[in-house]
Amino acid sequence: MPELTYLQAISDGLREEMRADESVFCLGEDIGAFGGAFKVTDGFIEEFGADRVWDTPLAENAIIGTAVGAAVEGLRPVCEMQFADFISCGFDQLVNVAAKLHYRQGLSVPMTVRLPSGGGFSGGPFHSQNPEAWFLQAPGLKVVAPSSPDDAKGLIAAAIRDPSPVLFMEHKHLYRRSKGEVTEGRYETPIGEARVARAGEDLTVITYGAMVLTALEATEDLDGASIEVLDLRSLCPYDREAVLESVRKTSKVVLVQEATRSCGVAAEIAALIAEEAFEDLDGPVVRVTTPDVPIPFSPPLERAVLPQVEDVRNACRELLAY
Amino acid sequence: MATSPAREAGVEREGGGQTPSLTADDRRVLLRFMLLMRATEERALTLYRQGKVPGSFYDGRGQEATAVGPAFALGPRDRTCILHRDLGAHLVRGVTPGRVLAQMMGRAGGVTGGKDANMHFADQSVGAVQMVSMLPDMALVACGLALAFQMRDEQRVAMTWFGDGATANGQWHEAMNVAGVRQLPVVFVLENNQWAYSTPNEREFAVDPVERAAGYGFRGLKVDGNDVEAVFAAAAEACERARSGGGPTLIEAETMRMHGHGAHDDMRYVPKEMFEEWEARDPIRRYEERLGAEGVDVEPIRASVKEELDGETEWALAQPMPDPSGATAGVFGESEPELGDGSAPWSRWSAEAHGA
Amino acid sequence: MSSSPIDSGLLEVTMPQMGVSVAEGTIVGWKKQPGDAVEADEPIVEISTDKVETEVPAPGGGRLKEILVETGETVDVGTVLATIEPPAASVAAGEAPSAPAAEAPAAGGEQRPSAGGDGGAPEHGDGRAPPVTPVVRRMAEEHNLDLSQIEGSGRRGRVTKKDVLAYLRERPEAAPEEEPPEEAAPEPALHMESPYREEEPAVEAAAPAPGARELSVMRKRIAEHMVRSLRTAAHCTTIVEADMSRIEAARGRRSYLPFVARATIAALREHPGLNATLEGDMLTVHEEVHLGIAVSLGEQGLIVPVIRNAHELSHEGLATRIKDLAERARSKRLTADEVAGGTFTITNPGAYGAVLATPIINQPQVAILDLEAVVKRPVVLTDADGNDSIAIRPMTYLCMSWDHRALDGALAAQFLSTLKQRIEGWQG
Repeated sequence: MPELTYLQAISDGLREEMRADESVFCLGEDIGAFGGAFKVTDGFIEEFGADRVWDTPLAENAIIGTAVGAAVEGLRPVCEMQFADFISCGFDQLVNVAAKLHYRQGLSVPMTVRLPSGGGFSGGPFHSQNPEAWFLQAPGLKVVAPSSPDDAKGLIAAAIRDPSPVLFMEHKHLYRRSKGEVTEGRYETPIGEARVARAGEDLTVITYGAMVLTALEATEDLDGASIEVLDLRSLCPYDREAVLESVRKTSKVVLVQEATRSCGVAAEIAALIAEEAFEDLDGPVVRVTTPDVPIPFSPPLERAVLPQVEDVRNACRELLAY
Repeated sequence: MATSPAREAGVEREGGGQTPSLTADDRRVLLRFMLLMRATEERALTLYRQGKVPGSFYDGRGQEATAVGPAFALGPRDRTCILHRDLGAHLVRGVTPGRVLAQMMGRAGGVTGGKDANMHFADQSVGAVQMVSMLPDMALVACGLALAFQMRDEQRVAMTWFGDGATANGQWHEAMNVAGVRQLPVVFVLENNQWAYSTPNEREFAVDPVERAAGYGFRGLKVDGNDVEAVFAAAAEACERARSGGGPTLIEAETMRMHGHGAHDDMRYVPKEMFEEWEARDPIRRYEERLGAEGVDVEPIRASVKEELDGETEWALAQPMPDPSGATAGVFGESEPELGDGSAPWSRWSAEAHGA
Repeated sequence: MSSSPIDSGLLEVTMPQMGVSVAEGTIVGWKKQPGDAVEADEPIVEISTDKVETEVPAPGGGRLKEILVETGETVDVGTVLATIEPPAASVAAGEAPSAPAAEAPAAGGEQRPSAGGDGGAPEHGDGRAPPVTPVVRRMAEEHNLDLSQIEGSGRRGRVTKKDVLAYLRERPEAAPEEEPPEEAAPEPALHMESPYREEEPAVEAAAPAPGARELSVMRKRIAEHMVRSLRTAAHCTTIVEADMSRIEAARGRRSYLPFVARATIAALREHPGLNATLEGDMLTVHEEVHLGIAVSLGEQGLIVPVIRNAHELSHEGLATRIKDLAERARSKRLTADEVAGGTFTITNPGAYGAVLATPIINQPQVAILDLEAVVKRPVVLTDADGNDSIAIRPMTYLCMSWDHRALDGALAAQFLSTLKQRIEGWQG
């Protein structure tokens, strides 16, 4: 198996789906001639033509709205938000039209929206957000957030083939930092299944996206403790069984997310554990998240709010000693 | 007020006279659909007043021509995004009045099975995509349908309706712009019924929206929205243009909402003279008079509509309420989307089918 | 802790099934407290269901060990309300239930106060007992562990899950997990107690206004039923005046009620549309008359026992049944099925002197007749020749509330007219 970056893996997955299925096409801002702000679709316009790699006007509702129409008419659109932050401009089409159409009318909307998300490189308040939790309150949308190249390729394929609208959170920090062996050819990573990134006995860190790398680094050698790291991969639906199984094993849980604190994925998982695994807990459920603030620009300020390796390490130490 | 002399002068009368492509039977069918729309809505309002319709009630009284006329131009494989004032378009495409009444009552037999309210429905088996409350949104979805036709090089049309209020919203602009940029095979029917809830045209826009079409790079024209043949003719021409690669058309059909925004709205803001002026231009009465003058006996049509509706109402009232266990079902897609073909009652389509 | 197994030697007092449709009951009050001696069949708790109030007798004699459901709580039928320790078992457990402080002091005289029976974890350093986490609490129960015997490695000496696992691995005579019931038997039952049950929710409630008191369970039920009826039915009240002379002559010193009841039954047989029940959109017209009679229980409230197949009873039979049911209602000896299934109800506040009322229908019936006081009034009489005269007659108002959803005013008036004729033409 070749070793690819996360970016190459997404690009490969997308390209393979477009080669295999004529109904798959991409639309978004600057994705054609320029190859996209992060070069995920670099070279696509040459291979697939301007119709299937559509440089749209600067209009997120138009991107998502036309994708809905094309999807119900049998195409498989893959929308690119230039930054995940810009999804706010397409919010209405996503949560009111795309999300609810199957429930209301029984009409599936098989479309994918790619969301380059996350901070850590001085993007400031409008190029650093992790807006996944906004969509957990919009029933009908699926949300995935892979951390490894292999999962990224498998999940972009699964998202494209899924009959529901799927938001594909691709963390910008991972694009060139996350590297790994990637399965050749077309395959799917099932939506809704978590992955044990590292098995352990004493404590579980549950996380997703870029924070998987942070968690692995933080717990690689933590005073000899045996730490499990669970990579959720899918946020909606998420893998309840994998969460509960790990909690039952270790009885101690640290939840890590880069998104802001309140009502996020970590809060949801913490609630699940409180409801379903209360009698398995051997300590409080602990969250490590960004506080409820916009993401600041200047490096020391940004580092102060985003969860760092040391924050995860400290949280784990505290809980281990409890 | 809403029909100022300046705006009247701008009205481009398309096919206002006899439309050669409509047969005598077509005309009877046009009248019948308008009558069926009005009768269905009147029956629904009765059910609402009897306490059988939960929630709000909206209808399209006075707008029967703008609903029926454009839909009548569509071929079977064309697709629609229909607004809540346009019951007639659903009827033309093949939805039965009984399912509409059951829909209003939140019954299991309604088009959405109780999942969505009142006129928020569409039947995918006849090629319709369901509207949302954010009124310009479906213009973008229609663009997406048209995009699929264009990418697959199919001679098909997407048609959508919206009101004067929707043209003030940003998404409307995004839709017009995308349609113009891609020259999509889409027909926009702007039903200018003078009122966005209680807000009159002059508070919605400074420039008549039909004039904006040129700015987006496609054709716009204005028709008498209470003349069913005029609206039909404009739509038929727009559909032909779209099919032949000529791009989108914005048709502004000028009409008047003769009921309140919903059943709760007493229309206190509508000047009496304005209401009376439009009352005199009722699209159904005008068309009945016109056909009557041409020797068509409209009474049997009226009688058959009443008979059909009585049966449909009985069916609707016999439908059970939905099983509460279904309330959490169907959140996520389960299979390929399947939009079916709609009815196309215009004789042109049967002639084409026979010819083919 | 509520699912803890109960020692096989204990008797369980459960919420009884008071009639087929009864699913739950509310504790009105305990007549015994833990530690009290209890005799077999002695009433130990008063309960209320939406049908009746009754007392639950002890299933056997002994000492009331533990009350598991407090006054005011509503629980499903079959729920264990209390446990009773038979005499033999009581010897072993001593006075344990009411006196946790009597637990033997730890060996060596070291002061180790019990942590409220909460697993018995010792206090450390700062005077606060370290917390017992859910998983440790559960494991301690599963394996019958005394946590005070385990060295804690967590914060403030907390016993962690790891500590428990290590203890289980290392303890010398670790019993196989299948056998804990055998091992548990000699343990004093005290150990299973949860401190949570000692909390009195009522004590923590906000102080009520001076003089305010909570409605009784029965009054709450009545309130709920009455409000629901008013919200459900389209109430109309129709009133006719009846001359009671003939009944007055026939009754002697007996009550009017059986006479009016009998006339009502006859009128119902003639107009079965009033002898009906309406549930949702389903109207059932009954042939048999199951007559409800509202019986006042004074301040407590009122109850409506039902005379089944009242139309089959003779006048005397009817009178006897009414008397019997009223007596048993007042002494709380009605069964649930004796207050269910009525098709029509008579209420009789007239006995207290009221002359007019608009009663509330007893759901799902469609009408209720209100018998008011009989008072002497001057009335105009017309003789066979058409001559009018004024006479003094014992008169009453027959007030009937009926459900306009089920019937219309004409039928109500026809029924009352028939009733009036039967009363005025009473033949005995």
